[in-house]
Amino acid sequence: MAGRKVRFPVSVLIFVLFGFVLLSLQLMSSATQESSELNELYSWLLIINALGSIILLGLISVNTVSLVRQLKKREAGSRLTTRMVSLFVLLALAPAAIVFYFSMQFLHQGIDSWFNVEIDRAMEDSLELSQVALDQRMRWYLKQTEQLIDRLSDKSEAGVTLEMEHMRDFSGASEMTLFSRQGRIIASSSINPSEILPSIPDEHIWMRLRQNSNYVALDPSLEEQLRIQVIVTVNSDDIQYLQALYPVPLRITDLADSVEFAFVRYQEMNFLRDSLKLSFSLALSLVLLMSLSAAIWVAFISIREIVQPVKELVKGTQAVAQGHYEQCLPVMAQDDLGFLVESFNDMSQRIARARDETRMAGIEVENQRAYLETILSNLTAGVISFDRYYKIRTANQAAYRIFHIQVSRFVDQTLLDLADEHKELAEPLRQIQELLEQADDIWEQRISFLGINGLQELLCRGTPLFSPEGSRVGAVVVFDDVTDLIQAQKNAAWGEVARRLAHEIKNPLTPIQLSAERLQLKLAGELQPKSQEILLRSTQTIVQQVEAMKEMVDDFSQYARASKKQTENIDLAILVPEVLALYALQSGVKFITAFNDNPLVISADRVAIRQVLHNLIKNALEATGKTGEIYIGLSRARKNNANFIEMLFRDNGPGINEDQVDKVFEPYVTTKAKGTGLGLAIVKKIIEEHGGSIWVDTVYKEGAGFVVQLPAV
Amino acid sequence: MLCLLILAGIFAVSVRPVHAQIPRIEIKDVLINRQDGHYQLSANIVYNLSSKARNALQKGIPLYWDVSVKVAQSRNWIWDKTIFSYSTRLRIQYQALFNSYRVTRIENNESESYSNLQAALTDMGLIKDLMLVKQSEMDPDQNYYAGIKVNFDREALPLPLRPESYVNSQWYLSSDWMLWPVEK
Repeated sequence: MAGRKVRFPVSVLIFVLFGFVLLSLQLMSSATQESSELNELYSWLLIINALGSIILLGLISVNTVSLVRQLKKREAGSRLTTRMVSLFVLLALAPAAIVFYFSMQFLHQGIDSWFNVEIDRAMEDSLELSQVALDQRMRWYLKQTEQLIDRLSDKSEAGVTLEMEHMRDFSGASEMTLFSRQGRIIASSSINPSEILPSIPDEHIWMRLRQNSNYVALDPSLEEQLRIQVIVTVNSDDIQYLQALYPVPLRITDLADSVEFAFVRYQEMNFLRDSLKLSFSLALSLVLLMSLSAAIWVAFISIREIVQPVKELVKGTQAVAQGHYEQCLPVMAQDDLGFLVESFNDMSQRIARARDETRMAGIEVENQRAYLETILSNLTAGVISFDRYYKIRTANQAAYRIFHIQVSRFVDQTLLDLADEHKELAEPLRQIQELLEQADDIWEQRISFLGINGLQELLCRGTPLFSPEGSRVGAVVVFDDVTDLIQAQKNAAWGEVARRLAHEIKNPLTPIQLSAERLQLKLAGELQPKSQEILLRSTQTIVQQVEAMKEMVDDFSQYARASKKQTENIDLAILVPEVLALYALQSGVKFITAFNDNPLVISADRVAIRQVLHNLIKNALEATGKTGEIYIGLSRARKNNANFIEMLFRDNGPGINEDQVDKVFEPYVTTKAKGTGLGLAIVKKIIEEHGGSIWVDTVYKEGAGFVVQLPAV
Repeated sequence: MLCLLILAGIFAVSVRPVHAQIPRIEIKDVLINRQDGHYQLSANIVYNLSSKARNALQKGIPLYWDVSVKVAQSRNWIWDKTIFSYSTRLRIQYQALFNSYRVTRIENNESESYSNLQAALTDMGLIKDLMLVKQSEMDPDQNYYAGIKVNFDREALPLPLRPESYVNSQWYLSSDWMLWPVEK
């Protein structure tokens, strides 16, 4: 519809313009006809046509400039327009120029051929002939009049009038008048009695008469008929003048007129020859210029109309190339270009649909991937996927939690690169890398290593990935931190042992002790001193050993028993100095404390925490002897988005062997001669029941070091 | 292209400067006198024909002039008020048969033949005792002037000569208004 709206006025405009051009040119052509009424408008028509041509040339110039500008900007369709316009102009101009050239030639030759020397001479001769014929007649009338004057001599005024009547009749004159010397009319006679006043000679004639005695001339004062005016001097006493007017026969007048008209016309045409050529050339040039300009201008408009869909198509194609598929080009005409535009619209719509579908599918896939990633990142198990060159592709959050390394930052690197950067994890990472490279099937391996939180046990499962064609495309490793699980299993086993020991062993101990004491009491007085001494020693040994066993069983039961948690808020910054105060007096050990933050409050069972402190201090005291240094540090720590209170126990004792590091918290593991080996096991149990953790500070090499973390309030 | 060249040629002619050493039309011996309460104008218009015009006349082409006379009241703030205007159309034509020049006053078709051109032109240029206005029609407090203008009618020329007549100084045969005060 929009196309029609645009096209309608343009076509009307073109028709109007052509109509105007034709009308104007036709008017100008008509005006050149001598008889035309438009003759008077010729100059105006010339100006209007020239103005029209200038306007059209202006329009063409504007269009050309605009086209050149478009060409410079390399606008769509500009080159096609230029080519079509050039072709049209060339095709229109060449024949027009040829026709114009030959027309001018014909025009000039045609006008020149009107005139030649023979006609020129013939014209002059015929005029001269007319003049000679009239001259002869004039001379003859003069002679006749001169002969007549004798009859007037010696006549009275009345006689003169009468005689003149006769003379006029006789001579065939139309009028005869006698003037006095002063010009007064003496007598007059006319063929037409109604003409009372005779014609009077003018000043020039009187002057001529005074110079010559006679005067003869053609009197052209009457349009329709020629008269010959003859005036002769009558020589009497008083000079008088006789004027006779002789009519020239009508036929001769007509002939003379005709000859004169033709001669004048010919002379005029001859004079106007160059102007005529110029005038016709001008008209012809204007016709050509105007029609050519109009044609070129219309060509500009038409070609623009034709090229418009191509332009739109080019723009549309560029838009599609840039990814804008929402193009719907207007179909301007139901022709081949219109069909092309329709096909283009169809194509771009299809591409847009396909693009939308692909986008939707992409979004779907992305959603799926995000969903999977969410699941993976929320898994407690760490998952790392590898490509075919064992380079990391993805890693979830749990991997970070287990390794304490942002594995996802090492995408496109191998585990070995990771190991190079994090030496503490080099061992397990190398193991996993080896397993990845070696395994052709699903594998499972338990890997233990010393992490920053102490010994960590990982349960790793690896699955190599294969493409449908069977080639290896990567692998996935899933690993769980099973340290706590294994520890819990161990703790449970030991708890069970302890409970059984307490139950099975403690029960018979009291009767044994009582029996031994009774033996000593009953038999003390009855035995020989030597035997009594043996008895005493034996019963003492029994009682001591039973006591020792009781103590051991108590420790076990304590270990087995869940620390009764009567939780309250405890400020460790207060509690630790309280406990230390008990030891400060009885030993020579130097205690160094460093409390970085204050307060350091935890929620815990006060008795259980005291136990922990006692056990750890005792442990340190036992390791260092009487003259050691014990460092106790308290600070806040943040781990896995939770606040912890960290206690650091360091002594300058012999330290812990590396092979013992992962076992010191198990029951019955001790490096000391004394003790049940349950101290650290109880500490660990209490701490873990409070949600905390303890590990050997492997960074500290001067002695033994323990790190305790308890959740802060 | 050819058309363009021709047009350019025509315009080149048109912009050629006009070398008019002697004015083509001179108005001499202007006399405004009062007779019996009437103002009368006498003047002598000298037609100095160019060679081209003379030649055209000789070849039988009639030449036309319009002679206008007016009396107007000078006014300071608005246009002058014309109280009298008179116009006459004159034609001069060569008569080949009689080898004479005929001067015709178109409005009353009065014509006169002259044996030579100078006599014809002299007579054509004569204005004798042209009645202008009555003294009583004029306000004694106001200033009046009389003007004569001679206009050569190019449009009366044969068609092929017309375009040229507008651009060729040989055909500049008109005068502007020439004004004289009317003495009270």
